[in-house]
Amino acid sequence: MPGYPCRMNARQALGRAAEDAAARHLQERGWRLLSRNARVGRGELDIIARRGTVLAFVEVKARRTSTCGAPEDAVDPRKRHQIARLAELWIAARPWALEGVSDVRFDIVSVDAGVVPCRVRHLPAAFTCDG
Amino acid sequence: MPNAGSPRGGPVLARIASEALSGLEGHPVEVEADVVAAAPAFSIVGLPDAAVQESRERVRAAIVNSAFQFPSRRITVNLAPADLRKQGPSFDLPIALAFLVATGQAADGCDGRGRIAAVGELGLDGSLRPVAGALALAQSLRRRGVRGLLLPAANAAEASLVPGLEVYPGRTLADAVAHLEAGGGEAAPPADLEALLRDGDGDGPDLVDIAGQHHARRALEVAVAGAHNILLTGPPGAGKTMLARRLPGIMPPLTAAEAIEVTRIFSVAGLLPPERPLVTRRPFRAPHHTVSSVGLVGGGGTPRPGEVSLAHLGVLFLDEFPEFRLSALEALRQPLEDGEITISRRLTSLTFPARIMLVAAMNPCPCGYLGDRERDCTCPAHRVRQYAARLSGPLLDRIDLRVDVPRVTPRERRDPVPAESSQEVRARVVRARRTQLRRLCGTGAYANAHMTPRDVRTLCVVERDGIALLDRAYDRLRLSARACDRVVKVAQTIADLDGAGTIGAGHIAESLSYRARGAGEL
Repeated sequence: MPGYPCRMNARQALGRAAEDAAARHLQERGWRLLSRNARVGRGELDIIARRGTVLAFVEVKARRTSTCGAPEDAVDPRKRHQIARLAELWIAARPWALEGVSDVRFDIVSVDAGVVPCRVRHLPAAFTCDG
Repeated sequence: MPNAGSPRGGPVLARIASEALSGLEGHPVEVEADVVAAAPAFSIVGLPDAAVQESRERVRAAIVNSAFQFPSRRITVNLAPADLRKQGPSFDLPIALAFLVATGQAADGCDGRGRIAAVGELGLDGSLRPVAGALALAQSLRRRGVRGLLLPAANAAEASLVPGLEVYPGRTLADAVAHLEAGGGEAAPPADLEALLRDGDGDGPDLVDIAGQHHARRALEVAVAGAHNILLTGPPGAGKTMLARRLPGIMPPLTAAEAIEVTRIFSVAGLLPPERPLVTRRPFRAPHHTVSSVGLVGGGGTPRPGEVSLAHLGVLFLDEFPEFRLSALEALRQPLEDGEITISRRLTSLTFPARIMLVAAMNPCPCGYLGDRERDCTCPAHRVRQYAARLSGPLLDRIDLRVDVPRVTPRERRDPVPAESSQEVRARVVRARRTQLRRLCGTGAYANAHMTPRDVRTLCVVERDGIALLDRAYDRLRLSARACDRVVKVAQTIADLDGAGTIGAGHIAESLSYRARGAGEL
C-alpha cells in the first residue's frame, strides 16, 4: 500500500484502504465529512458525515472474502452498543452539531476488498441505540 | 389535543388516550410520544411488561409496512400514569398513533370535539388484531364520558353493545389513522341487544333426551327454581353429566343486563368467539377434577377470572367431586357464600363476580357401585368412609339437595311416553322465581337459597302439620338449627313450584327426602 508508513500491518492497511474507499463513496453521493477517525475517550468513530438534515455516524467494515459472512454482520451487538455510546458522547461535547439536524443515524459502509475494484455498499440506519 | 411543535420545529409531543384493564375494571392510560433529533432509540416507559416492551418491534414493522416513515430519531413513549402496571399488546395501536402524530404523519382530528381512545394489537403487516376485554374497556370509557373508541374490527360487535359510545372499527393501522384524522368518521352501528338475545336463546341440549330419572329430574327442577346447590350421587354412566348439562336450558333466560355481565367476563378471559359477540345462554362450566385452586376461583400474577367466575349466573359442574384438590374445594366457600370472589395480590386486590349454582356429582364409593341394584360394591368399608370424608362439613353444608341418580334400566329407556322438554320445565321454574322475587322484595336476595335465617323466620309460612313433621325430623334425624332452615328453604321452593301460598307437610316431606340421600350424612 503506497503512501502509508510501512510499519502498518496488512490488516490495518486493509482497514485504512476501506475507510478511504468509504469516504470517497460518501462524498461522491453528496455527504460532507465532518470527521474521520474521531477519537472519543478510548474509542474511535470511523466517519461522521452530514447531508442535508441527516447526521450519520458511519462504521466501516472491510472483508477480503465472504467466508465469515457479510462485512456488516461483523458489527455485533457489543460493537453497536459501543458506537451508540461514543456517538452520544461526541454529540454531548458538540451540541451545535445538531443544529438543523432532524435525523441522527447509525450507518454501516461495507467494503468487499476481494474484488478489484473493491465493492462498496452503504446501509443507512443499520442499527439504533437499542440494537 | 393541541399538538403544536416547539418554536424550533424540532421536538413534538403527541398524546393518545387509551385504557388498561385490571380484572374487569378499566383504568385510563395516556400514551405520550416524544420524538427528538438525537441518537436514534425507541424506548417505552411507564411500568410496561414484556408484551408492551415487544410492542416496539410490532409498531416499527407495522408503521413501515403501512407506507409510513419511521425516521431515525429518539422516540420516547410514556404510558401515564407511571405507577399503573401496563400489560399485554393492546397499547400497540395508541403507541403507533401517538408516534405518527408526533412525527407529523397524522393529525389528531378530535380537537374540541371530545377525545376518542384507541386500543388494539398490531401485526407486522399493519393489520389490527383483536384484544381481550373490549367490552369491559368500552364500558369503562363510557362511564368516564369518553366520546368514542377506535379498535380492531374483530372487537367492534362486542364494544358496540355499550350504548352511547361511538365505536370506530379498523382492519389496519391505515384505517385507524383515517378515523383519527376525521375525528371519528363513520361509526359502527350500535348492537341490537334484544335481537341478539332472541337469536341466541333456545339452542343447547334438551331434557327431552333423558329417559327415566324422574326423581333426579324433579330434584334438579327444585334446585334451579330456588337456586339451590345440588349434589348428584350415582354409579358411572348413570347420566349425572347429561342431566347437569341440561340445567342452563331450564334456568330462566338471561336478561339483557345479565348477558352483558357474563359477556364481560368471557371477554376479559379471551373466550369470546368473534362471530358471537354476546353470550346469550347461561354458562355451563365443567372444570376437570385436577384443576388448581387458582384455575377454579381465579388469580395468577395477572389475575384472571377462574371457572367459578366464568360460571357466573350459570352452572358450575364439578364431576368426581371428592377427587378435587382440597385447596380447590375449600376456596369455593367464599364465592358460594358471597356470590363473588376477591383475589388479593401484592399490588392489587380484585373482585370478580361469581354467583353460581353449584352442581356436584360423585360416585357413592371409589368403585362406584355401592347401593346399586344389580352390581356389588367391591370397596372395603374404610375406603368408602375415606372417600366420603374428603368432603368437609362446611362445604357439604352449602349444598341443599342431595339426590341419587341410579342406573337407568332398559325398561325405563324404552318408555314410550316422551320425557318433558326443557321448555316446559323452564316455564314452571320462571313462574316459581317470579313468586320468590315478589316475596323477597327488599331483602336483596333473588331466590330462596339466598334467604337469611331471619328471612326464613319472617317470610316462610309453614302450616301446622308441616311444623309437626319438622319437629319430628329434628328429633329423629338430629338436624341442626341451620339444617332445619335449609329444609324450610327447599320446602318453600317446592311450595312455590306448586303455586301454594304456605308450606304444607307434603312440601316439608319432599324437602327432607333430599337431605337424607347422597353422601349419607345429614
